[in-house]
Amino acid sequence: MNETLAFILEWVIKGAVLIAILLTGFAYTTYFERRFLARIQIRVGPNRAGPFGLLQPVADGIKLIFKEEVEPAEAYRFAFLLAPVMTMVPAVVIMAVIPWGDKVVMFGREIALAVTDLNVGVLYLLSIASISVYGIVLAGWSSNNKYAMMGGIRSTAQMISYELALGLSFVPPILLAGSLSMSEIIQGQQSSAWYIVYAPLAAIVCFIALLAEVNRAPFDMVEAEQELVAGYVTEYSGMKFALFFMGEYIKMAAVSAIFATMFLGGFDGPGVDTYAWLGPIYLFLKIFGLLGLMIWIRATLPRLRYDRLMAFGWKVLIPIALLNVFITAALIVGLGI
Amino acid sequence: MLYSMDDMFNILPTVIVVAWATALILVEAFLPKKYKFITIWLTVLGLVVALVAAINQHGIEAEAFNGMLVVDGFSSFLNILILGSGILAVALAVGYNKRFGFDRGEYYIMMMFSIAGTMLMSSAADLIVIFLALELMSIPLYIMAAFYRGNVNSEEAGMKYFLLGAFAGGFILYGIGFVYGATGATGLSQVVTAINGGVDSPTFLLVGAALILIGLGFKVAAVPFHMWTPDVYEGSPTPATAYMAVGAKVGGFAALIRIFVVAFPTLSTDLVPILWGLVALTLVVGNLVAIAQKNIKRMLAYSSISHAGFILMAFLPYGDAAVFKSSVAAALFYLLAFAITSFGSWGVVIALEKSEGKGLLLEDYAGLGRKYPALGVAMLIFMLSFTGIPPTIGFAGKFLLFKAVMEGGYYGLAILGVLTSLFSAYYYLRLVIIMFMKSGEPNIVSDRWVTLVTASSAVATVVLFMVSTPLFAWAEQAVLKLF
Amino acid sequence: MLQDYLNDYWPIAILLLLTTLLGIVAIGLGYLFGPRRSNKRKNAPYESGMSPIGPGTRQLPVKFYIVAVLFILFDIEVVFLLPWAVIFKKFVDEGLGNFVLIEMIIFLGILLVGYVYAWKKGAFEWD
Repeated sequence: MNETLAFILEWVIKGAVLIAILLTGFAYTTYFERRFLARIQIRVGPNRAGPFGLLQPVADGIKLIFKEEVEPAEAYRFAFLLAPVMTMVPAVVIMAVIPWGDKVVMFGREIALAVTDLNVGVLYLLSIASISVYGIVLAGWSSNNKYAMMGGIRSTAQMISYELALGLSFVPPILLAGSLSMSEIIQGQQSSAWYIVYAPLAAIVCFIALLAEVNRAPFDMVEAEQELVAGYVTEYSGMKFALFFMGEYIKMAAVSAIFATMFLGGFDGPGVDTYAWLGPIYLFLKIFGLLGLMIWIRATLPRLRYDRLMAFGWKVLIPIALLNVFITAALIVGLGI
Repeated sequence: MLYSMDDMFNILPTVIVVAWATALILVEAFLPKKYKFITIWLTVLGLVVALVAAINQHGIEAEAFNGMLVVDGFSSFLNILILGSGILAVALAVGYNKRFGFDRGEYYIMMMFSIAGTMLMSSAADLIVIFLALELMSIPLYIMAAFYRGNVNSEEAGMKYFLLGAFAGGFILYGIGFVYGATGATGLSQVVTAINGGVDSPTFLLVGAALILIGLGFKVAAVPFHMWTPDVYEGSPTPATAYMAVGAKVGGFAALIRIFVVAFPTLSTDLVPILWGLVALTLVVGNLVAIAQKNIKRMLAYSSISHAGFILMAFLPYGDAAVFKSSVAAALFYLLAFAITSFGSWGVVIALEKSEGKGLLLEDYAGLGRKYPALGVAMLIFMLSFTGIPPTIGFAGKFLLFKAVMEGGYYGLAILGVLTSLFSAYYYLRLVIIMFMKSGEPNIVSDRWVTLVTASSAVATVVLFMVSTPLFAWAEQAVLKLF
Repeated sequence: MLQDYLNDYWPIAILLLLTTLLGIVAIGLGYLFGPRRSNKRKNAPYESGMSPIGPGTRQLPVKFYIVAVLFILFDIEVVFLLPWAVIFKKFVDEGLGNFVLIEMIIFLGILLVGYVYAWKKGAFEWD
């Protein structure tokens, strides 16, 4: 009985810690993005609230709480409320299978630095990633607004199109590791080399597809103000808007973690075998670097036109990803990697 | 679990059809609009090549893919039948599709896939393969039913066929699940072994068999699972109807015969009463409701339901292997007779059909016999064949079937069959009377391929009656290895 | 007590619960502290300041359905690829690498035909 309780306690603590980290991370990702963008555009960025503007996210949060929650008159109320939650929840839950490090001993227990380690981790990633599409569809449809509807449908079409390339680009790491479990994929990279070395093409496709998956520039149709106002979030305000925002930024961190795990060795790094606590730090650094890359891309590249975006996904990414599956398979057969 | 190229060669005709159709998709995609007719010729060429391969393969007994597919006389009989039907169906469709403005190569490619599915059905010896083959056969048929885009009836037909077909597929899959649960196997021979070794839950097995029977009953349009037939047959483009009337029946009966003969002979005591009721219902409902039809497509639809009933009769002498052999052979022969007669009569319907569903009522046939005597006589031959009056192949089919059923001791059903044949004479011959006795000015659309199909079917209906003895011997030969 | 197999999934359930709770609390906070001053104009659907015309949800271009159908098709392809990828190395170790590779090439070759067909027929064009 005590054992069960200990387990439940462990899970609850892990979950709570993960949520806390992600929330803080979300808040400071927005800060980081604004500062970094400002630097690139030779501006200063937010620097008033607190030292270096570090309290800016807190101020934003408090402001959003006190904003009015406007609901369009003919919105489908339940779905309208459900949509932001459905967008935010998968973004957090998807992080559950990302291992942060090896096992460590704490409080006399051996604790794995991951919420869980599924033997079908990659399938879990793909399935949860596709659930967040529902939130967007619901948001677009329930707002009863033409812009929202169009934006929701467009984002959905975009996400499912790029999800194919994403799924295909996950195949080479699985081929190399021979497993769907995230921890075994990392072990495979520890014993040979990071998979970005073996499958660079897949890594590039994966990164592009992930950018599209989180609706980031240059795939940010949602924020195509010129065409669709704010896409599916047009009618959202206050905390519901904040939840969408949160979902987007947490998802950015999540896909960075996914990319790091699949291609950059996850928590792998020098000395991680001896000092298990280095694992989370390495992973954090990798996520931070990838986030920076995403923001850099946003500052550099213009937005794609919608037809080009779909054509790029279907006509370029999918064939390349497919081809790369076979290149990797042939490499394994030929070279016995 | 491995397999080699030998497996591919063993099912060469099917492989040819599948590969050819797959390649044709690319051809169709890349052909400029002007040369689209090439697809049709290539389809026919592919079917002919496959037919040659199938004839060449005749008499070979083999297994392929670890016993999941079986090549024997039964499968090659049905392969030859369905490939021949496919060529006739292409010939019927060419002019019609152009006339009604949906002249697209995909139609023929879909038909090829459906043919491949039917061919797989005839040699499948594993429940999973049977299900896959069934879907491969059916899904193109749904598309063909809805091929006349923009026509509400055609779209309705496609939708109805799709929904009910998917429903039937669900029944079959559920039945397969039950059989698997009871026996722990999906291969037909393993199922038999398991049944002979004693099954823990015979009820499950029976339920599974019954569900499979229901699902395939949908496909062959046996009453009470026939509801979709008239609407789908009426709404589909007529050449598609002509093909699905034959193709779906051949496939459905192939699977029924294979499953019930090979896997479930021990269930005969439980299943025979059910089959008896099914046959009686199908015969009575099919023939009686056909009398009330004013639209020729609906009439032929009900007629095809009643023919499904006749073919199902062959299943009754189920427990008695010796009699069953000749009754299954008779069923095969009947399928052949039905296919030829059916294509001929649909050819006549196509010749008379005008746009917007005109020219499909029975009274539109008034005066046909006087104005176009050749066509009238051809239709007369088909109607006689459907009724079962000599000198037509339909008579031979019914005669052999009734004989086999009576040998099995089912006199009541044989009498019912004769009686319902008499009923059917009423509506078949009514059409003949309308054609020859009533005055009218029908106009036919001249289409040499349809004319060719109709003429050759009419000739075949009579000529094959003359050679029905060797034909039946072939059918008997074909089912020899089944048992 | 708890089955080993489920042990991997309980943490996810707990995380799901906690996250959903967070979402509900967040929305609740907004309703608790936010002002409520709604009027007809404010609650009308936003159409760049003009009065809204017609219903907000209407028929969509059929293009999107084609994308959805194609997605299902190719997603199933990916789903078939994943288990193949998992066992691939084991087959290679047994010397059957070429066999499983050719198997998959045949399977994907068939799908490729459909892909090329869809491409040629303009399913990926967005006019």
